[in-house]
Formats: sequence, C-alpha cells, structure tokens
Amino acid sequence: MYGGDEVSAIVIDVGSYSCKAGYAGDDTPKAVFPSVVGSIEQTGETDEAKADKEAEAASDSKNGAKPMDVDKAKTKRKLYVGQELEFRRDHMEVISPMKDGTVTDWDIVDNIWNHAFRQRLLINPEEHPMLIAEPSTNTGQQREKAAELMFEKYKVPALFLAKNAVLTSFASGRATSLVVDSGGGSTVVAAVHDGYVLQKSVATSPIGGEFLTDCMMKSLESKGVVIRPRYSFKKKEVGPGEYKVVDLDLPNTTESYKLYCMRAIASDIKESVCRVPDTAFDEVAYANVPTTSYELPDGQTIEVGADRFKIPDILFNPSLSQTIPGVDGFADSMSVRGLPRMVIDSVNRCDVDIRKELLSSILLSGGSSSILQLKERLEKEVLEESSGNTRVKVLASGNSVERRFSVWIGGSILASLGSFQQMWFSKAEYEEHGVSYIQRKCP
Amino acid sequence: MANAASGMAVDDECKLKFLELKAKRTYRFIIYKIDEKKKMVVVEKVGEPVLNYDDFAASLPANECRYAIFDYDFVTEENCQKSKIFFIAWSPDTSRVRSKMIYASSKDRFKRELDGIQVELQATDPTEVGLDVIRGRAN
Ligand SMILES: Nc1ncnc2c1ncn2[C@@H]1O[C@H](COP(=O)(O)OP(=O)(O)OP(=O)(O)O)[C@@H](O)[C@H]1O
Ligand SMILES: [Mg+2]
Repeated sequence: MYGGDEVSAIVIDVGSYSCKAGYAGDDTPKAVFPSVVGSIEQTGETDEAKADKEAEAASDSKNGAKPMDVDKAKTKRKLYVGQELEFRRDHMEVISPMKDGTVTDWDIVDNIWNHAFRQRLLINPEEHPMLIAEPSTNTGQQREKAAELMFEKYKVPALFLAKNAVLTSFASGRATSLVVDSGGGSTVVAAVHDGYVLQKSVATSPIGGEFLTDCMMKSLESKGVVIRPRYSFKKKEVGPGEYKVVDLDLPNTTESYKLYCMRAIASDIKESVCRVPDTAFDEVAYANVPTTSYELPDGQTIEVGADRFKIPDILFNPSLSQTIPGVDGFADSMSVRGLPRMVIDSVNRCDVDIRKELLSSILLSGGSSSILQLKERLEKEVLEESSGNTRVKVLASGNSVERRFSVWIGGSILASLGSFQQMWFSKAEYEEHGVSYIQRKCP
Repeated sequence: MANAASGMAVDDECKLKFLELKAKRTYRFIIYKIDEKKKMVVVEKVGEPVLNYDDFAASLPANECRYAIFDYDFVTEENCQKSKIFFIAWSPDTSRVRSKMIYASSKDRFKRELDGIQVELQATDPTEVGLDVIRGRAN
C-alpha cells in the first residue's frame, strides 16, 4: 500500500489534441498544451548509431534479410514540445504520438510527459503519485507500457490508471451513464455501469473536432478564402494606422507545419461561429442564412454563412462532409455513424435492464461538446430514434471548461481523496508483482 | 472483496440499520452520508415507519449528495399489500463536483453491502425520485 498522502498527486490526460496536466485537488489543469510535437531529423550520425549500423550490416549479410524499421529507429530527431511549437523552424515537421486513439509512438508520449512534469508543473516525478487518464479502448498492452515507463523511467512512487469515461461519469455524480466524449481525434461513446466501462458498448468514430476543423478549412478554401499562417507574413506600417501585409519567403517550412498553423486558425473560426442546426442541414434552406464575419490574423475579414451550421451537422450526418471539395472519404465508411446512431447502437449492446437508465443519463464531454445546440439536437434525435415513451436526457455541465476537462477534473478529485490513497499501485507492488499487476489494481 | 474505486469504507452501522429495516420494518427510510474525514459511509438519519414519502423526500438535502434506502408500501392491482426496498443515489446537479465524485465512485461497493435492495434509482433532481417514478419502478 502506498502511504504518502501528504504530497499531492499529479493527474495527466494526454488526448489526441491536447495534453492536460496538473495537481490533484485543483479545479482545472495547470498545464494544457498540444499533443502534437515538432520534429527535426538530425543529419550527421552519432558514433553510437554508426556502430550499430555497422553491426547490423554484418549480421544482415549473414541472415540475408533486413529487419524492418531499422532505418526509422536509427534516425535521430529533436522534438519540440509545447510552446516551442509556436516558433517556426526550418524543416520542422509536426507529428502526433497517436493514431485512432491509441499511442503509436511512445517516445513522443515520453517527451510530452517529461515536458509536463519538468517544464510546466516543475515537479520531480519521483516524488508524486501519478494518475493517468486512459482511453476507454486502451488495450492491456498499452496500459502495461504506460506503467512500465512511469515506474522505470520516471520512478514514480505510485500509479493509477483510470478510464476517461469512468472519470467523466463519476464527476457528474453517476456510477451509471452513457458517456459521449467528442474530443479532437475522435468521438467515443461508452456505457459506464457501476463504475466500469462495458467494453462491448464502446463505439468510436473518427469524427471529432479535428475532422470538423479540416472540413471548415477545406470548405473555406473551396470558396476562395486564403488562410495565411501567422508566421508567413509581416504587417508593415505604410501610413499612420495603416498596414500592408507582406508575405515572407520561408522555403524550408514543412507542409505539416504550415497545415498545423492553418488548422489552428480554422479551429478558432469553427469555435467562434459554429452552431448545430435544429434539424438536419439542408443546403437549399441554408443558402441565404445570415453570415457572421470573422477577422483572420492577416486582417482579411471573411463571411461565414451556411458553413456555420453545415460543419457541426457533420457530427450527425457524416456523409455531409463528402460534399466539401478536398475532404477525403472515410477508409472504413461502415464504422462512420452519426452521433444519435452511435448512442442508440451503444445502448442496444448493453443489457436490457440498464438501457433505460443509460438513455436517461447521456453525458456530453470533450472539447467538441461545447458547440452550441449540440445537447438539444442530440436529445431530440435520440428520442426520435428510441422506441416508445423512453425518457431521454442529455446532460452537460453548463460550464464549458468543466465539459472540456471533465476527464481531468474527475481524476483530480479521485486522486485527492483521503480514502483513495490505499488504491494506488505502488512502486513496491510493481517491484514485487511485476507490471501485469496493473490490470488487477486498476481494472 | 473488491474495493470501491474511491477506497471508501462502510461503517457497520449502515448494514445493521438496513437489516433492521428489511427484517423488522423498523424504519421507513435510512439516509446515509459519506464522512470524508473518517473515510467511510455512515448513517445520517433514520425515519420512523409512520413517516411517509414526503417526509423522506424532505430529508434529502437540496444541494448535497446522499445515499438513501426507502421502504415503499403499495397495493397491487390484485389488491395485494406489498413493499419494495429502494436504493437511491441522490446527487443533485447543484452539489459540488467533489461531492458527486465521492458518492459516485463509492456507490457500487456500498450498495453491495446492503443485501436485499430491490430497485435502484440514481437521481440528480427531485423529479427523478418523485413518487410517480417510485410507483412506476415498483411494478
Ligand atoms: N467552443 C468550441 N466549439 C467547437 N469545438 C471546440 C470548442 N472548444 C474546443 N473545441 C474542439 O475540441 C477539440 C479538442 O477537444 P479535447 O481537448 O476534448 O480533445 P482531446 O481530449 O485532446 O482528444 P481525444 O479525447 O479525442 O483524444 C478540438 O478539435 C477543438 O477545436
Ligand atoms: Mg479527451
């Protein structure tokens, strides 16, 4: 048992869009920064890498086959995390540690954790228990990898892994609920019953906030709007209070960095103007809807009309995105369902006895749940699709900070409870039972 | 024995009062609260058998979470006198997030200590524990 409740625990939720980290007991995470990082490949081999390569070359000639990923593993790269990403650098690519909600590059996650602990929270991880929020779909292997890294590299005194959906559900006062988490990279619907995620109920869709941002950007581009990234121009004062925008020539900027910067702007446009329509979007009916103006960083003012409603409606009707020029089709269109369908399907995969209760406590969370009218529209459509006189209730905190950070907030409270201190997976237990013990300690 | 996610313990008194209600019908309802300092669920209040639903409803604080047991007497369509034991997780929207979290994460374990619950309700506003809801769920 871990007995150190005098030091505050650290709570960390690395999502596909942003990393939230802070002290247990706080109301909001102290550090929130992007989950993508900048990466520059280093030319010039280190002696170590060279020696490795020579050794490999020797063994290659023996077995004739070249092991996969050797080149990738041996390339040295320098990573730029957090605010460092805000400065443009020649040849810096923007890369993500995750794909479809699971970690594919642990080295990046490691760098993100490290940045959070040492640069942002200014703590020594050896002194603080860590509560990590994990995706509801996390595999046993992923959990063990996270635990191993935390104990071996960060030497944390104690660890706990808690599922996103469970933390959100608890934070709203429910041990049973249907959690709809619309974040950055995806939207995940998961039933929580008596504090556990019912795995068979978990439904995921690649349509999250980042997909909507992409659609917004492509739609504006198709209408002739040019989004100039902030780094790509200078404003020159040509007269008193009068500015002229001068494009800068930066040929070594990578395509991925440019896209990252343009997306940041498109994302802001989306967050400022979008609103879910009361009924399914209809191109004709919305053709003459009043527009809203938005000022781009370079000073241009654009008018956004039908897109204000069309873009968020994609959450309900994914195929709508295919009418936007330049938006890629879905690789697996079968898995792409609208939100109400996902909710109904997820509920129907649960035991008949609890379906009613789930439908009457649908919880909205994640950054994309802040879009205006989302709650109302979802409630209406789920009600229409569900049979009989079932009570359908969609709940969301009135406070958008609480919605966006519900996972982190849940973790923050849990880890700060006096009674919780006996629940940690301690370093001693790790040393005694090995890493697989995490599955028992944090079911 | 599985632990509550929150690690919260349960005071023996909780179980004893419940057994009395179940076996001897000595109470109409029991209200439980979590004592964070003691790290356990304790009995806050019991209601005499002569009390009714309204008395029970009035015992649930408007802005704080509680667990409750309510013994509901009713008459079936076949004119048969019956009773059902309800477990209610009361978590009003207006209560603090911290309190919601503590109650939700301790519920499963606590509930399992009370053997004989027949219907379970989770409520975040008074309409969700209304007499009509109780009546509806009793059948
Ligand atoms: N007011 C808003 N309106 C619309 N979208 C918003 C708003 N605020 C944030 N978002 C979007 O929410 C997304 C980020 O959500 P969140 O922080 O929950 O993601 P995440 O937890 O990192 O990702 P995930 O949980 O999917 O892995 C971004 O796409 C952002 O544009
Ligand atoms: Mg998230």
